Amino acid sequence: MIEPANTSYNSASDASSKAIELGASIRASGVTKIYGNHQDAFHALGPIDLEIKSGEFVSLIGPSGCGKSTTLLIVSGLEKVSQGYVEINSEPLSRPISEVGIVFQDHLLLEFRTAIRNVMLQQEIRGLNRKEYQEKANKLFEKLGLKGFENKYPKQLSGGMRQRVSIARALIHNPSMLLMDEPFGALDAITRTQIRHDLEILWLETKKTVLFITHSIEEAVGLSDRVLVMSTSPGKIIDEIKIDLPRPRPAHLGDYPEFSSYSKRIYNIFERLGIYRFK
Amino acid sequence: MRHNLHYQLNYFRVTTPKSSLKVRLRVNWVSSLIYPTISVIIFLSIWELLVWFFEVPLWLVPKPSDFLNRFFSDFSIIANHGAATSITIISGFLLGIFVAVPLALLIVSSDFLQRGLYPVIVFLNIMPKTVIGPILIVWFGIGPLASVIIVFLMCFFPILVDSMSGFRAVDSKLFYITKSMGATSWQNFYYIRLPASLQHIFGGMRIGIVKAVEGVMIAEFISSNEGLGFMIMRASSFMDMTLLFSGLIAAAIVALLFNSLLLTIEWLMIPWKHQ
Repeated sequence: MIEPANTSYNSASDASSKAIELGASIRASGVTKIYGNHQDAFHALGPIDLEIKSGEFVSLIGPSGCGKSTTLLIVSGLEKVSQGYVEINSEPLSRPISEVGIVFQDHLLLEFRTAIRNVMLQQEIRGLNRKEYQEKANKLFEKLGLKGFENKYPKQLSGGMRQRVSIARALIHNPSMLLMDEPFGALDAITRTQIRHDLEILWLETKKTVLFITHSIEEAVGLSDRVLVMSTSPGKIIDEIKIDLPRPRPAHLGDYPEFSSYSKRIYNIFERLGIYRFK
Repeated sequence: MRHNLHYQLNYFRVTTPKSSLKVRLRVNWVSSLIYPTISVIIFLSIWELLVWFFEVPLWLVPKPSDFLNRFFSDFSIIANHGAATSITIISGFLLGIFVAVPLALLIVSSDFLQRGLYPVIVFLNIMPKTVIGPILIVWFGIGPLASVIIVFLMCFFPILVDSMSGFRAVDSKLFYITKSMGATSWQNFYYIRLPASLQHIFGGMRIGIVKAVEGVMIAEFISSNEGLGFMIMRASSFMDMTLLFSGLIAAAIVALLFNSLLLTIEWLMIPWKHQ
């Protein structure tokens, strides 16, 4: 059982508290992660260099086990780097930061709490104003299409709704950074397309910095400003594609010829790396 | 309408999800007593009939009418022993909970304890408790204390094991999220681990209470001077069959009461299970 050791979180200093409103900027340099030591050492990631501007939506795409999730954990301070350093808003990262919202592939909702109480967990643990956050939670539920489901337990909700609640939990405290690790991976294709759009609309309102990990090229191109392509383990960033499509992106991306060229570029890389082996 | 499956399945449903909590609580409690009572009455009637029909002697198998008579005529004696037994059960069981649950948390949190302490506990648990009884008499003398300890030993292990699996049941990724919230270890425990593990802990407690009742009877046979087990043992040595059977009835009632009590507490404390 892995339990991250308890470390106090690095709350934003005055200088960067303003930056919270805009979205954090992330800079990683020479970051490497090695789990274990000596004989058992597992070189999970790196070295990688990463730069995400404030308010940018960046996707990270790559084969399974290449270190994408590790990147996300390192950038949020939840895992320490083995080499290199990370800067958030030009300040070195030393402890887990609290101005993040995290969404995993599993919704990880507490089954013993209703949907809204799951989201209010942020308020309870952080010790924030209850009434204020109750208001925010209700508004967020409306925006995410969850109105009327506040008092349902997770097991009474569909997969898509559970993920929406999970997203609400990640957004209620207005973080400057949203980190998503294959959040729609467990959803069916139709729900996936819809929720992708809903996320984009929500993001356009507040323009937080987003690091989005996915396997799906369509998702990556459909949501991001930039797509970073990662190699097989130990993952390194081997390509960067700037996505030049208007927002909000449509459901059917095939309308744009650029989508085809972006997809092809990523497919070619995967083929070159041996991830795809079509005869 | 009778052929409608929904109708048939819900035919006996006395409450609906819309009934108020008080109504549902009362009906739940009552109905969990009515059904067993009916089946017991049927069972006793058959018994009475068979013993009467085959003219079985009293010293071999008493009729329900005999020992039920005795049960009510000596009710105060039986009730006193019943109370003593109940107190022993409660003491041993509470002791079991207050030792097993925190210990489960400790073991789950520490690799060292997991590998060092847990196997020792498993080994100690394999020892039959009836063997431990005489040792306890030497240490603590005849009396309810030895019984309490035996009860404790019998219900401790199931509660420990199920609590451990309860504390492990939470996906560790969730702790990344709470860490980003800045949760302290206590908050992690109170908000996440403890409620998540309640279902498992109650599962362990349900097994534990059965073992506790079993344990208290055996314990009182050999190492006590009060309680139902003691009463049954003494009745047996005097061949007092009606008292013996009354004692068994009383023991069954005690077991049923504790079981129902536990189920009710669980029902109250884990509302999400029943939604």
